[in-house]
Amino acid sequence: MTELYPGYDVLAKRWTQSWNEQTRAVIDARLAAPREPIFFTPDEWRCLSAVCDRIMPQAENRPPVPLAAYVDLKLREGFLDGYRYAAMPPQDEAWRRGLAALDDEAMRLHAARFHALSTARQDHLLSRMQRGELNGTAWGAMPSALFFAHRVIPDITHAYYAHPTAWNEIGFGGPASPRGYVRMALDRRDPWEAAEAKPGEEERARRENDRVG
Amino acid sequence: MGAGFVEPAPWRSWRVRASPTSQKTRVPAERTPWDPDVAVRAGRRLNRASGTIAASVLLDSAIEHYRGSFHNKAMFAPLVSSALSLLAGLHGSGDRRPRPHPARDAAYASAALIGIIGTAFHIYNVGKRPGGFSFQNLFYSAPIGAPAALILSGMLGFLAERVRDNAPGTKPTIAGLAAGRVVAAGVAVGLLGTVGEAGLLHFRGAYHDPFMFLPVTVPPFAAALMGNAAMGSARKPRGFTRWWLRLTAVLGFAGSGFHIMGVARNMGGWRNWRQNVLNGPPIPAPPAFTGLALAALAALSLIEDQDG
Amino acid sequence: MKTIVSADPFAGPRATGGRAPDVFRAGAWVPMRQFDDSETVDFVVVGTGAGGAPLIARLAEGGFSVVGFDAGPYFRPLEDFASDEMEQNKLYWNDMRVVDGANPLTMGGKNSGKAVGGSTVHFAMVSLRFRPEWFKSHSVLGYGVDWPLDWREMWGYYTKAERALSISGPLRYPWGPKRPAYPYRAHEMNGAAVLLAKGCEAMGISWTPTPLATVSAPHGASPPCVYRGFCRFGCPTNAKQSQLVTFVPRALRAGAEIRDLAMVARIEMGSAGRATGVHYIREGRWRFQRARNVVVAGYAIETPRLLLASATNRYSNGLANSSGLVGKNLMTQSNQAVFGTMQEEVRWYKGPPSLAITEHWNYDDEKNFVGGYCWMAQGPLPIEWATIQTGSRGLWGQALRDEMAKYNHQVGLKMVGEMLPNEANRVTLADETDQYGLKVARVTYGWGDNDKALIQHALGQMQTSLEAVGAREIFRQEDDTNHLAGTARMGFGADTSVINSDCRSWDVPNLWVCDGSVFPTTGGVNPSLTITAIALRTADRIKALAARGEL
Repeated sequence: MTELYPGYDVLAKRWTQSWNEQTRAVIDARLAAPREPIFFTPDEWRCLSAVCDRIMPQAENRPPVPLAAYVDLKLREGFLDGYRYAAMPPQDEAWRRGLAALDDEAMRLHAARFHALSTARQDHLLSRMQRGELNGTAWGAMPSALFFAHRVIPDITHAYYAHPTAWNEIGFGGPASPRGYVRMALDRRDPWEAAEAKPGEEERARRENDRVG
Repeated sequence: MGAGFVEPAPWRSWRVRASPTSQKTRVPAERTPWDPDVAVRAGRRLNRASGTIAASVLLDSAIEHYRGSFHNKAMFAPLVSSALSLLAGLHGSGDRRPRPHPARDAAYASAALIGIIGTAFHIYNVGKRPGGFSFQNLFYSAPIGAPAALILSGMLGFLAERVRDNAPGTKPTIAGLAAGRVVAAGVAVGLLGTVGEAGLLHFRGAYHDPFMFLPVTVPPFAAALMGNAAMGSARKPRGFTRWWLRLTAVLGFAGSGFHIMGVARNMGGWRNWRQNVLNGPPIPAPPAFTGLALAALAALSLIEDQDG
Repeated sequence: MKTIVSADPFAGPRATGGRAPDVFRAGAWVPMRQFDDSETVDFVVVGTGAGGAPLIARLAEGGFSVVGFDAGPYFRPLEDFASDEMEQNKLYWNDMRVVDGANPLTMGGKNSGKAVGGSTVHFAMVSLRFRPEWFKSHSVLGYGVDWPLDWREMWGYYTKAERALSISGPLRYPWGPKRPAYPYRAHEMNGAAVLLAKGCEAMGISWTPTPLATVSAPHGASPPCVYRGFCRFGCPTNAKQSQLVTFVPRALRAGAEIRDLAMVARIEMGSAGRATGVHYIREGRWRFQRARNVVVAGYAIETPRLLLASATNRYSNGLANSSGLVGKNLMTQSNQAVFGTMQEEVRWYKGPPSLAITEHWNYDDEKNFVGGYCWMAQGPLPIEWATIQTGSRGLWGQALRDEMAKYNHQVGLKMVGEMLPNEANRVTLADETDQYGLKVARVTYGWGDNDKALIQHALGQMQTSLEAVGAREIFRQEDDTNHLAGTARMGFGADTSVINSDCRSWDVPNLWVCDGSVFPTTGGVNPSLTITAIALRTADRIKALAARGEL
């Protein structure tokens, strides 16, 4: 995928009026989050990491967003969503059971753990989970489709789109206080917003993005 | 001085030659209605008034059109035009010769023309939006009153040149009418238009501060006084009118002061100037009132000097 | 403005020691009167949101002694609110609830708040009036039940609420009976709102800038909105006129006490059939506040939860529940949407998310279903947008990343639709307990046929509008819901409702309910302004009753 917002880095605004002190503290802590598992066992961690790589594949030309670490952090800190489907166990139990069940399905089908499968086989298993077709005993009473829709997807994708790297990728303005925005109309951008590279204008966009601040 | 006359401008025909000056009017030690300096002095003051408005337009359109990202190259036109009108004002302000200057005339004509085109373009801009000529669009799309200020600058400059364009020692007239009264009437109309613009934008701001009522109360009264001056007796003492006009002139600059404080009241204050100068109250706009009040004072002097 | 980051708002109560946080000045405090637990106060109000806060303020201004409880923290917007979707989850009621039924509700950010100021701290500020006929939807429109309130009286309270919240809105509202101009002018519309307007004009239906509770010019200590777009995640500008910065400070000035991080667990009943106070936990300690009157204002989940949890031998079904209706007739509002991709850059993250609205279908009765709906422009931030892409289209992997890259070109329309009351949709107590040791709420919900017909109609209309403005790759978000109502409905008699038109319990004369749970029907607009209008009316009614010695 070619870069849509070449050179745009939301962190360049870190010391501008777009970021206040509390936002800097929050994003700093997020960027400094430990990359090692504390909640998950090594087996669970390998499986989770492989799942993260497939749910949210990352560009190779930049440091990856440590998605598995953010899932670990959420469970370690016990950040709740405010509700739970009656058919689902609490989130930490759901994750442990779900990852174990996924490894179990992989062993039964391909005689290897999930992380050791080819990406095509991993995707195939995840698709079947999404459709609720994984029913091994390791799942217990937890429907695999609910685990996919209400644990795997939100916990991983939310972690990704909470990260400045993702904001750069999609051209989101990022933090905005005290400074918000002035130019609200269609096809208008403030000088502190990402410039999109229209075909043939990549260099101009890059110059504009170098000035974002 | 005949050599000083230059290429006739198209509107030269407007000028009605002043009635031949009769020699008997030369009364020393007393200003006479035909004092040759009157026209030049008034002309210079009008150049200055025009320049004041041009400066306001220059800064205001620079800020507003920067906000509009200059997405249309025509958005540079008012900057160029108001800058030229400002230069003409500076030049005219120091020019004691009793005749118009073609370059100034050209600058003023282009200011008025670009003001008219700009107004038309802004009207088009409002009308094409969803909702058409609704308050929502009058508030937030291109302000119709802003280019009109450029017309005012051009008009006052044009009048300045016409006032100069009278044979020395003649009673200054414009299109056959007493120059002071013409300027007074023009200023009255200009004041009302500017009040309309300030009133609309202060309404957008919900008159959240009582001082926001000042530009919709002081200048309308000044306009009424000038209407009276344009129509009324020249011999009537107009001390109150002069003071009220001085108040209006001060209000123009005070308005910028209020707007500077208004920017500070927005989130992030002046540290967030890149947003707040654009989204806060327009700092350069209020001195348009000052320019008009200066022109009004010049008109009063003309009326009194001429007919007194 | 100098920023002073205070201590963690969750670490301990801030409203103590005779002072409460000054929400307008970093690090500053305002004085607060305090009452002793043993002192019998006139009113205890449980909850400080759209219903609780106005009532606390108006009662205190009327000379009553009032203590307002909130389970959430007392935020300082200038210091505690980051520009971050994930961090600001702290504003929601994230404690455990169990959801089930045919269409389980998604709880959390969309329908709850746990903070002084309640969910108005993060609401989208949309401040609309009910259509007058909705107060008599059964007798006039032929569905649901009637309210024991008269729309003409409510019209006056709406006006008061709009003034108190400095609503920014259009000069002329296109639908319904005449209403006064809003106190502040409507905001400039962003690209997403302009596309809604263009779509409506193409369809020949009316639209208007949305009346919003965020100021478009300075108001008191509130600077105007800076269009930062994180409205649903707390407003560190203080432009948003949440209860936290409007009625709560008014309440303090009038001598009320606010107790933050104070979770009320049970209402105590005396032998005379009157409530005597509330048991609550604060700073890890169980305490009891004596009161002459108890008002429950915890919204449609926590209100029935508290009433049910206060059951005694004498009131074995819970308090105020002789009708058996406490917890029943839970209503949410359909919140489906249609999204598409524009050639233009829309950049919908700028400005409040819903700057334009059409209520056309709330005022058109020529439909093959009952009830109404409106739709509004949208501006989801990246996490919410990912939730929509994954939830509605089942996307993940590279397909998700590719679709997310179109973020700045997306446009969307989202409905707020009326769902009909149904006793099977309800709040009960589950067996498991939360961090306080209290039984959590079980929320059961399923859509009815009329609900589904209304949703499909709205999706079709919104799609037509998007097609009319040239959106491509259009898709539907079919499964979303938002606001809550019902569960302690007001009505005309003790057998068919929980409270009367004064929000007073039929069963326990000094027990009141004042929040969205009193709604008999939910209407097709966002409910917060109606909740506040009812609270203002309730305060006036209480003062009138007190003057007659009828409290």
